[in-house]
Amino acid sequence: MIHLAKEDIRHTLGKFLVTAMGVGMLLGIVLIMMGVYRGMISDAEVLLEDLDVDLWIVQENTLGPFAEASRVHEDLKYTIKSLSAVDKSEAITFQNLQLPLADRKLAVLAIGYDIYGEINPINPERLIDGRVLKSDHYEIVVSDKTFYKIDDKIKLGRNSYKVVGITHGTVASGGDPLVYISLKDAQELQFTYTNKRIASDRQRGIINKDAHLVNAIIATTKPAYNVNEVAQDIRKWLHKSVYTRAQQKVVLTRNVVEKASKQIGLFTVILIAVATIIIALIIYTMTLEKMKEISIMKLIGLPNSIIIKMIVEETLLLGVLAFIFGNIFSHLIYSKFPKNVLLEIPDALLLFVIVVVASIFASFIGVKKVINADPTAAIGG
Amino acid sequence: MSKKQAIKVENLKKSFGSGDAFVDVIQNANFTINKGELVALVAPSGAGKTTLLMMLGCVDKPNSGTIWLGDEKVYENAWLTKETRKIRREKIGFIFQAHYLIPFLNIIDNLTLLPQANRIKDSESKKKARELLKYFDIAEKENAMPSQLSGGQNQRVAIARALMNNPEIILADEPTAALDMNRSTDVVKMLKKIAIEQDVAIVMVTHDDRMLQYCDKIMKIENKGIVFE
Repeated sequence: MIHLAKEDIRHTLGKFLVTAMGVGMLLGIVLIMMGVYRGMISDAEVLLEDLDVDLWIVQENTLGPFAEASRVHEDLKYTIKSLSAVDKSEAITFQNLQLPLADRKLAVLAIGYDIYGEINPINPERLIDGRVLKSDHYEIVVSDKTFYKIDDKIKLGRNSYKVVGITHGTVASGGDPLVYISLKDAQELQFTYTNKRIASDRQRGIINKDAHLVNAIIATTKPAYNVNEVAQDIRKWLHKSVYTRAQQKVVLTRNVVEKASKQIGLFTVILIAVATIIIALIIYTMTLEKMKEISIMKLIGLPNSIIIKMIVEETLLLGVLAFIFGNIFSHLIYSKFPKNVLLEIPDALLLFVIVVVASIFASFIGVKKVINADPTAAIGG
Repeated sequence: MSKKQAIKVENLKKSFGSGDAFVDVIQNANFTINKGELVALVAPSGAGKTTLLMMLGCVDKPNSGTIWLGDEKVYENAWLTKETRKIRREKIGFIFQAHYLIPFLNIIDNLTLLPQANRIKDSESKKKARELLKYFDIAEKENAMPSQLSGGQNQRVAIARALMNNPEIILADEPTAALDMNRSTDVVKMLKKIAIEQDVAIVMVTHDDRMLQYCDKIMKIENKGIVFE
């Protein structure tokens, strides 16, 4: 049996492959965009997973430190701890910092925690070099994305911090690397002002009272207790906003990365639409180039179905080849992106289905041209 | 022995346009062409040769009249079947000014494409194609692409393609227009031989008077009607 699409493609194989590669690069970017979104969601969950706590107690009527400013008193952790349902309770701070590098500044999210406390945000599995914090002051654990090495010194605020540990895969929801410092250092960095500012405040009668504030209290509950009920109780009598782990995850994914994900989603849709239009135009051009042959085929009596099959198969093959090239392309370049890009098989399969459907739609323009082709166009005179 | 009718036309009319743009091309054409005949269709440019050919080939729709292809009445003031393309596929062979082979198919695939559409077995159609290529003395070219063959060889392949469906009629639109005198003579002699040996009626449009000597009949379009010389 003669396979018209196969023979036609073989006749212009180089051109077809280069075209598929071009469309493939576009699809590769679509995969990267999907990977950026997945990376963003994954990054947003890193901290939640590493902390592994059940409750987030934050400033009343706020969504907590991941979404907006939240300040609560550090000693609230003792009140929470005193609840019969609570197993562990700790204070924690989050602060955006700019780490000085040789030629620039690097944005990071600093997590301050009580190094003697019951909850340690540093996941030992992510610690690839050095150790966790052991001193209350001037030690720092950094992500490998900061490019710092063990024993490096980092100047933050008034003090110099020694790098004692390196973690891998620790990033904030925005993609910034995480660094870990003691709660005391974090409070000093966040709430202690410069001498001139303190002097200025004192002249105004303002005394720095913020030193023992933190951004959230985190807690775990005892196994027998229902987390939602405990959260509801704390909300009632402590006048704080309380989020369970699941709610905090929603805050992170819906409130923090929602706009970014919508933006990426829109870009992805536009790129898919552009890829569809490009495939349609390529198929249209390929069909136009064959109009004489199509007219001949119609004139000698070949049914439309055979000619349409050729067009649709060529379009589908172009789409599938472009998809394969897109996957290769995206896997070659994804690690070069500054933010975490997670290429997942379900996303690739979804894109494959979209490409197949888009290719079928794209072939319609060529098919329409075939249906309307005038067989007498083959004959002169 | 009386020859079998291949084409019979009665009161065929064809016009284009309307109002000031109205053009009457064929009026009350009546003729019969028998199997085994090579008929030349001669007329000045624009007189309606190709239009007549297209009506006989069930491509262009006449305004009125009757057309028989073999024993089958295919048109009587309207097409009598929705599948005019099937009639072309099964009963008619076409030869054009240029060979118009499918450039991305090799020679044997060009020949077997139509039988494939007629659901004829691949082995059967390939056997027939090889026989025809041998008949036309180009058997060794079956795997070549049309671009690798000379103009004359391609035209022979095109004629072979027209014979692949065992047609009752071959409609040839200036098949020698792109060939030199010697090759033109070869092609027309070949068509004459095919008409006899394959018992096919061939209607050949030509502007070359030198080819008329090889034809059984000369059909002219004069004053919008058909006359035979």
